[in-house]
Amino acid sequence: MQDTTFNVLADLALSGSGQAIQKSKTYLIEARLAGLARREGFGTMDDLVHCLKARSNAVFAAEVAAALVSKDTRFFRERDILIQLITSALPERLKASNTGRLKVWCAGGGTGQEAYSLAMMLQEPDAAPLKGAKIEILSTDICKATTDAARIGQFGHFDIQKGLSIHRLLEHFTHMDTGMWDASDALRASISFRQHNLMKDCSGLGKHDIILCRNVLSGMARTARMMVVERLAGQLVPGGMIQLGEGESLIGLTDRLEPAPTIRGAWVAAGTANSAAAAAA
Amino acid sequence: MKRCLIVDDSRVVRKVAGRIVRDLAFEIVEAGDGAEALKHCRETMPDAILLDWNMPVMNGLDFLRALRREDNGGEPTVVFCSTENDSEHISEAIRSGADEFVMKPFDADIIESKFAEVGLI
Repeated sequence: MQDTTFNVLADLALSGSGQAIQKSKTYLIEARLAGLARREGFGTMDDLVHCLKARSNAVFAAEVAAALVSKDTRFFRERDILIQLITSALPERLKASNTGRLKVWCAGGGTGQEAYSLAMMLQEPDAAPLKGAKIEILSTDICKATTDAARIGQFGHFDIQKGLSIHRLLEHFTHMDTGMWDASDALRASISFRQHNLMKDCSGLGKHDIILCRNVLSGMARTARMMVVERLAGQLVPGGMIQLGEGESLIGLTDRLEPAPTIRGAWVAAGTANSAAAAAA
Repeated sequence: MKRCLIVDDSRVVRKVAGRIVRDLAFEIVEAGDGAEALKHCRETMPDAILLDWNMPVMNGLDFLRALRREDNGGEPTVVFCSTENDSEHISEAIRSGADEFVMKPFDADIIESKFAEVGLI
């Protein structure tokens, strides 16, 4: 890949999806764009960039930027965090709710494994404290093809075996003639899927009790992270929280949020953590 | 160190699986069919068994049923590993005493994920 090609694609990733791709990780670009380049008939990345430059096409450029985002996910990824969500964070939110309705947003939800994992857990004994609650799950991803795949809810031989126990597989999925595993209607019906770029205004997605944003910010440039966190914070109901992935932090990115006192890796509106802790005590 | 018995009539599969499981910090023992595996278990019960379905002499399902009837035969964690990957076969394996099921073909990530699922790692 020529240097100019790398520079164009790295700039596009930064402006279109906030991704910070280092020169040493040129292979990431090759890997993530391979499918799209093949589909469009480009033999090399240089050809693809040549086309991008020759004809201004905002739709194609946005598609390239979306494809440059990591699609890495699996069922029950960092499951301790999901267990904590079901057994602590959501019950805490339910206590504070006077409608019994809770909204969870999987931001950067990829092919849907996080949302499907959550939907499965909500049917299990651990979710007993949430009995009677109406829990809506929204999963969004920047990429249209990924969002469509998530909505269809069919997983291939390798994806279905990563993170998912055989008991859950048999309970929630059906083996199809195509070799794919099809999620149950009950699971699919419990999740809404929307294409959404986290860099863009998200007020249309509504306010949420919990926003799961795990392993999404880590691939982004600092300015993009700050912008995304700002937008997500604006979509929290009072008392709502943003749940990050293991080892992630918002320190230095925002003054609006602070670590939740009782939920590991969760962030709540600044100034409310102490009062919430006092109320819990 | 935990010990894993790998039961498969294909030497290649045993080698590939053995390498993956060894990387998960297991000592590896191999058997080419169910009867050989049962003999191993009667001598020393392993902590884990990665078990193929279709094998000569004694197949995986017959081995599993026989194992679970042995003294201490309930102890090993058994992960079935087969190309028979429709729901009926998987359910049959679970009913017969398997703890997990890997559908072939597999990679290191799947084996690690399934071993984690049943608490082996």
